[in-house]
Amino acid sequence: MESMKLTARKRRCGLPAGWLLAAAIALVCLPSAAPAAQDCQFCHDEPLYRVDFSRSIHAGNGCTSCHTGITDIEKHRDGREKPAPVNCGICHQEIAKEYLDNFHYIQEDFRCSDCHRDIHAIKPVDRKKIKIATIEKCTECHGNADYTASGHGEAVLRGNQDAAACSDCHGLHNTRVFHTSLEQYPAEAREFYTQKCKHCHADSVMMARNNLSDKMVAYYEGTYHGKVQELGYPAPVAGCGDCHTRHNILPKEDPRSSINPANLEANCGRCHSGFHPRFLSYQAHPDYTDRQKYPALYVTFLFMGGLLVGTLAFFWFHTVLWWRKVYWENDRMEREGILPPSVAATGEGLQQVERFSVKYRIMHVLLVLSFFTLVLTGFPLKYAGAAWAGTITQLWGGAHMAGLFHRGAAFVLIVGMAYVTWESLKFLFPRGKGRTGWLGRLLGPDSLFPNLKDLQDLKGMFLWFFNRGEAPKFDRWTYWEKFDFLAVFWGMFAIGGSGILLWKPEWSSWLVPGWVMNIAALVHSEEALLAALFIFTIHFFNTHFIPNKFPMDRLIFTGTYRIEELKEQRPLEYERLVAEGRLESMKRGHPGIPLKLISATFGLGSLLLGLMLTVLILWSLLFA
Amino acid sequence: MSFMSRNTLTRLVMPAALMFTLTLAACGKPAEAPLPWKVIDAPTLRAMMASDKDLLVFNTMSEIECLDHRIPGTKCLACEEIEKNVTLLPADKNRDLVFYCESAQCYRSCRGAGAAVKAGYTQVHVLDRGMPAWKQAGYSMETVERIPRGSIPSVRAADLSRMIAERKDLLLVDLRSESSYREGHVEGAVNFPLYRLSRNYAEIPMDRTLVLLDDRGFRTFLAGSYLEMKGYKVMRLFGGMQAWQEMAAGK
Repeated sequence: MESMKLTARKRRCGLPAGWLLAAAIALVCLPSAAPAAQDCQFCHDEPLYRVDFSRSIHAGNGCTSCHTGITDIEKHRDGREKPAPVNCGICHQEIAKEYLDNFHYIQEDFRCSDCHRDIHAIKPVDRKKIKIATIEKCTECHGNADYTASGHGEAVLRGNQDAAACSDCHGLHNTRVFHTSLEQYPAEAREFYTQKCKHCHADSVMMARNNLSDKMVAYYEGTYHGKVQELGYPAPVAGCGDCHTRHNILPKEDPRSSINPANLEANCGRCHSGFHPRFLSYQAHPDYTDRQKYPALYVTFLFMGGLLVGTLAFFWFHTVLWWRKVYWENDRMEREGILPPSVAATGEGLQQVERFSVKYRIMHVLLVLSFFTLVLTGFPLKYAGAAWAGTITQLWGGAHMAGLFHRGAAFVLIVGMAYVTWESLKFLFPRGKGRTGWLGRLLGPDSLFPNLKDLQDLKGMFLWFFNRGEAPKFDRWTYWEKFDFLAVFWGMFAIGGSGILLWKPEWSSWLVPGWVMNIAALVHSEEALLAALFIFTIHFFNTHFIPNKFPMDRLIFTGTYRIEELKEQRPLEYERLVAEGRLESMKRGHPGIPLKLISATFGLGSLLLGLMLTVLILWSLLFA
Repeated sequence: MSFMSRNTLTRLVMPAALMFTLTLAACGKPAEAPLPWKVIDAPTLRAMMASDKDLLVFNTMSEIECLDHRIPGTKCLACEEIEKNVTLLPADKNRDLVFYCESAQCYRSCRGAGAAVKAGYTQVHVLDRGMPAWKQAGYSMETVERIPRGSIPSVRAADLSRMIAERKDLLLVDLRSESSYREGHVEGAVNFPLYRLSRNYAEIPMDRTLVLLDDRGFRTFLAGSYLEMKGYKVMRLFGGMQAWQEMAAGK
């Protein structure tokens, strides 16, 4: 034994040159006093250790690199020294760290060699065969016939390096398992795997290589499913695997595919119930810019886009010109020391007259509250990817709660709208008079319906903007107020109608086919954008931010203003009221301090919130 | 943000969120009585084991599983054994006892701890989230008799139900406890509770392919590897009896 040890030492001194590299590698992991491989092979002389090991990828490491704890070969031979359990993590640190989360380790206590069974003969795997090797390994136990028969598995076995092998979705050394028996299974697993699918399917280079569209992910993210998924809905909403199934992912044309037309009813039926078969024509990844495939959606997109751009462009232009005119005008008056009559009012001019009765003031407050609730619950969904969307949704208590509030506010708004319609009908056909003279009332000065004078006023305003004439004289309602009023009717038709269809799409399918839901979603979303931007920029400006009212006009909350203001802003109405002898009955006391304070707080708060939301919306619109 | 946020938050969201939470608390889980034992996390257990050499820590899994891998320096005592014969625990009722098992839910360790509390032990502890938490903390494990992991094919419930109808060479082996088996089992399944399997596996006939059944599909793999080592041909039901019942309910 003594002589053998000596020979071993001699041999170690005279290492052949080829072993130098190996020795260098070994130095990293190998305690210097340990015996060399040859010493071990003296007893452990099976071909696996003598031949296969020396050809393996670990050949450069000595036996004791892995089988640590042997310092003296004699003690080991006598059984006094036993090797410690193998810890591959000494060298493979990253993998060892990942492995702590591996289900196979946590639940079944797998060790490296349980999968890497040929550990002593292990050879570097050809990069191109790793995916196939992985599938072969996993399916030793997991007989997922449906995977190996499916698009991905089949493609991998055919040699496609892009197609997903088991480990591409489930992880390799950090295999996660969302066990079906655990409560967090649906939400967490859906989130996790949906991200895995998106990772490859949004990769434009990879998709192009495989003749697939990289836009599918973006189209999905544009739908209700995708947006709610992105917000992190706690209850079920379809992620990729819910429709395409987990393993048996096949193209639509394949009769075994879950998205084959013959299987769609059962597929959608796993989440939705009570729908008409025409529900199935809903498009899960619609591209509204594709004129050939989705003509109706394309036309809607063009129409809504045109409406949005046209309306905003016109009114922004109108607003900028108006602001310019008033600002310059104020500057001139300031220089010349002229006070506007409404500010300089004295005596009779200070008398308050009513413009909005309590009923209409309450309705406006309800409108403000419901509108903000709708915006604050709807826009986080519209811009689900934005950071602020998640924050606001959390304030509501999650997307589900936000959805409930959205519907609640919609209900308030619909009831309010129905009431306004009823009031309008009463205005046109008052008790006692019936239909006689309804046209006169419709086009008369107290009506909110546009007439010829509005057109003249609009022209007059533009002339005034360009210093080509006096400002037009208005009656009770200006043309921009009429627009605000009627726009709500259009808005409620578009946004309310689509919203009601989307409220319970399964029931809606008994009225309209599924593809109409795609249109409804687009209309709902675009009209919401138009409404929010219109209110927060145009209505806010026309009514509150115009320099002579800045920062706000409390009139809609207190209900009254000075006679001098009435004379200045609505001269024709004033003249009419005087002529008809109605002015006296409209005189009111000055609003009390509490009402003024509440009005200012509520009004300014709403204005600030609206401006803040405008920034967030524009930010997402332009940069997201 | 001044008005609306205060308004929505205080008047709408907060009460609603509170109600939501209360509803969840009321419906989701029964009102939780304080546990009759102390729940400790993995670092605490490690510190306790380091400072108290007499600390008794019990692995409540089956002997097969416990000898295969356990927290170093702990004892194997299946919860069924404790329930049957509590004198297996030390005589001193004031000794510190810790129970752990191999599931984040700690179902088995709680059964063991429950039996100990019932028998009058005062210092009973349960390892929070069990062995998985110990492993995820990066602490080492101990092996006494390691079972070579086999390639145990798993079958889905629906496939198994088809196979039972078609093949005559299958033997369904239900590894759950006697009581779970009595409450209901797959027709034709025989009961070999896992906690006794190392003592009576030889009674299982060798001429048929075994299909192992457990509660949730977590334990049949190691049991299958054990039986494969003993010369059996084995398959396992993916997802256990839970998956089987879900399939049966789905029909």
